Amino acid sequence: MTIAGVIGAFVVLLAIKTTPIAFAALGGTLGERSGVINIGLEGMMTAGAFAAVVASGATGVPWLGAVAGVVAGAAFGALLGVLATRVRVDQIVAGTGINLFALGSAAFLLVLVYGQPGASKTVPSLGNGSWLLVALAFAVALALHVFLVATPAGLRLRACGENPSAVAAAGIDPLRIRLLAVTAGGALAGLGGAYLSIGELNLYSDGMIAGRGFIALAAVIFGRWTPLGAMGAALFFGFFEALQFVLQGSSIPSEAMQMLPYVAAIVALVAFRGRARAPAADGIPYERNIEEF
Amino acid sequence: MRGIRKAFGAVTAVDGVDLELRGGEIQALVGENGAGKSTLAAIAFGALRPDAGTVERRGTVGLVHQHFELIERMRVWENIVIGREPRRGVRIDTDAAKRAVRELAARNGLDVDPDAIVESLPVAMKQRVELLRELERRPAVLLLDEPTAALAPAEVAAFFATIVALARAGTAVLVVTHKLQEVLDYADTVSVMRRGKIVAHFASRGVALDEIARTMVGGELPKVAARASTAPVPRVRVAHLRAESGDNAVRDVSFEVRGGEIVAVAGVEGNGQTSLADALAGVLPYEGSIEGADARGVIPQDRLREGLVPSWSVTENVALGRQHARARRGALLDRRGVLQAARAIVERYDVRAPSVDARVATLSGGNQQKLVVGRALLDDPAFVVAYQPTRGIDVGAAALVQSRLMEARNAGAAVLLISFDLDEVFALADRILVLYRGRIAGTFAREDADRAKIGRLMAGGT
Repeated sequence: MTIAGVIGAFVVLLAIKTTPIAFAALGGTLGERSGVINIGLEGMMTAGAFAAVVASGATGVPWLGAVAGVVAGAAFGALLGVLATRVRVDQIVAGTGINLFALGSAAFLLVLVYGQPGASKTVPSLGNGSWLLVALAFAVALALHVFLVATPAGLRLRACGENPSAVAAAGIDPLRIRLLAVTAGGALAGLGGAYLSIGELNLYSDGMIAGRGFIALAAVIFGRWTPLGAMGAALFFGFFEALQFVLQGSSIPSEAMQMLPYVAAIVALVAFRGRARAPAADGIPYERNIEEF
Repeated sequence: MRGIRKAFGAVTAVDGVDLELRGGEIQALVGENGAGKSTLAAIAFGALRPDAGTVERRGTVGLVHQHFELIERMRVWENIVIGREPRRGVRIDTDAAKRAVRELAARNGLDVDPDAIVESLPVAMKQRVELLRELERRPAVLLLDEPTAALAPAEVAAFFATIVALARAGTAVLVVTHKLQEVLDYADTVSVMRRGKIVAHFASRGVALDEIARTMVGGELPKVAARASTAPVPRVRVAHLRAESGDNAVRDVSFEVRGGEIVAVAGVEGNGQTSLADALAGVLPYEGSIEGADARGVIPQDRLREGLVPSWSVTENVALGRQHARARRGALLDRRGVLQAARAIVERYDVRAPSVDARVATLSGGNQQKLVVGRALLDDPAFVVAYQPTRGIDVGAAALVQSRLMEARNAGAAVLLISFDLDEVFALADRILVLYRGRIAGTFAREDADRAKIGRLMAGGT
C-alpha cells in the first residue's frame, strides 16, 4: 500500500470511530448546557443500537432501523429528563440507573427476540449509506453551534444551564426546556448507537457500546461544553480508537492497546482541567423556591 | 387582593389579608421575619396560589429579587431580552436587542453597557440590570424585595430616585423591606404585617419610625444590653493582612481588637469583608500576621452554608465544630455534655424549636441565627468574629443577638463585628473601621464617628 493509501485508510477508520462518539457527545453537550448531566449516554447508545438492529431486521429497511435508534434514544432521554426535572431524582443516580436498565433490558430482549444470548443475528446494515451519518454528525455539530449561539431557543437553553431561576423570572418554564434538551440529546446518542450496530456493523452484541457513552461524556468536558468542541474531542478520541485498531496485531499486547482510548480520555481530562467552566447550574435540580423572596 | 389566605401544612402564613396597590403610589410592606410578607408578595406576583381569596391584576407584575435572578456569565442585553428576543429569521436580532436595551436604559435614566458580562459588574449595576429586565415588560405593578440590602447609602438614594420617577409615571410599587428609614423617606404608605395579618396601615408622612417598629413587634421594642465601662486590654493584633478569595480581597490591613471592646468594620458588601472574616476565622490562607486570635468564636456569613447542617438536629449542630475538643469523651462523642450545651443555648438564646432533636431546617432564620450565635459564644471565647450577625432576622431576634454580643464585650471579649448595616455599627461599636476596596479607609472612635463621613468613605469618597 502506498503512503497515501495508508493515510486514506486511516482517515476512513478515523471517521468510522469518531461518528458514534460525536453523536453522543453532541447529545451530552445539549443536555449539560441546559443543566442536566447525562450519565445515561451509554444506556441511550445501547438502546439505540439494539432498537436499530431489531427494526432493521424486522422491516428489512436499515434506515427504519436508524429511525428506531433515534426514537429509542429519545425515549430514554425523555425518561432521564422526567426523572431529573419533574421527579427531581439525583441526575447521576438516574443516569446510572438508565445505563444499567438499558444494558439489562437489551440482554433480556435479545433472548426474547432472537432466542439466543450474547448477540443478535445479522441484519441489513446501512452499508455505504452510513457515510451519510458521518456527514450528518458534522452537520449536527455546526447546526447545534448556530442554534446555541444565535437563536432565541438556544439562548434560553443556555440560560437554563446557568440560572434556571432567572429563566423562570423571564416567564419561561426551565423544566420544559431541560426535558426537551435531554430528550433531543438522547435521540442523538441513540443515533450514535444505531451507527455502531447497523452502520459500522450489522448486528447487536452485548456490551458493544464498550464505554463509548462515557468517552462521549469526557468529550463533552474536553470540548468545553460547546458543540464544535465536542466534535473536536470526538475526533481526538476517535483517533486513538482508530490507532488502537491499526496497532492490533503488532507486537504490543492487544489488551494494552485496547486501553488506549480510555487512557487518552483520562489524560486529556487531566491535561485540560480547569480551562473552561461548566455551566453554573449543570447537574443542579431546579425547584421553584419561595424562600427566595 | 382580597381575603387572601395561605397555609403551609399546619402553619398559616397569610391569614385573611386585603391589600390594594394603586398606580402612582409607593407602598411599603414591613413586618418581622415569618410575618408573611414573602408569601404575600409571592401571591401578588403570581408565583403562589392562595388557598382562599382573590387577586385582581391590571397589567403585568414585575419583581426585583433581593438576590438578583441574573445569568451571571451572560451579557446584559441577553439578560434583559430573554423570553422576548427580537428576531431576524430564526436568529436573534442582536443589534435590535442592544438598541432596545440602550433605549430602555436611557428612558429610565439607568445607564448600562449592554455588552458587559453581568458577573463583571458591581452590585449596584447588577441591580440596574435586574430592574431593567423587569421594566422591559412594562409592568403595571413593580414588587421590590429588600432592594437596597447590598447598596451603599448614595446608591440607595439613586435607586429610589428611579423608583419614585416610575411611580410618578403611574406604576404601582410595593417595597418589601426591613429598613424602616427608607420606608419613611420614600414610601407613600406603609402596611405592617404581623402573624399573617395586616395590623396597621399608615400614611408614611407624619408617622414616627418607632411607631412602625412597635406595631411590627406588637409591643414595646426589645432593648439592647447596655454598654458597660470596660478597661480594654490588648488581645488581637492584625498586621499587614492580605488575603483573597475569588474577587474579594483585603489588601494590607492592620488593626487591633482589644478585650472589652467591639470593633466594627463598616463598608458596602464586596469590599473585602469576606476575605477578612475568613482569614480571621482560620479558613483562608493569608499573608501578614494575626496574633491572639486562637480562642475564637465565629459567627459566619451564611448560617445555612457555613454555620449549620440544616438536615441535622439542634443538638448535633451544637456538637459541630466542638467534636474534637469540648464534646468528646475518649474516642466517642460526649452525648450528655452536648445535650446539656444544646439545652443551655436554647434557653439562654431563646431558640424557639419544638425540641433539641428538631431538624435545624425546620427553624425560622432568626432561630437558626440565635443557635449559631449561641454556639459561637458558648465557651466564652476571648475573640469573637461576627459577620452580619443580624442579617435577615427580625427585630426581636436581632436585639437578642446584639445584646449577647454586647454582654460578651462587657465580660471582656474582643469582638470584631462586620456589618453592612450602619445602624448596627453605630449601636454596637466602640471603634469603627471603614473598609473600602480591601483597605481601611478610615478609623473612628465611637465618640467622634461622623455618619455622613463614614457613608462617603464607604462609597470611595473622602
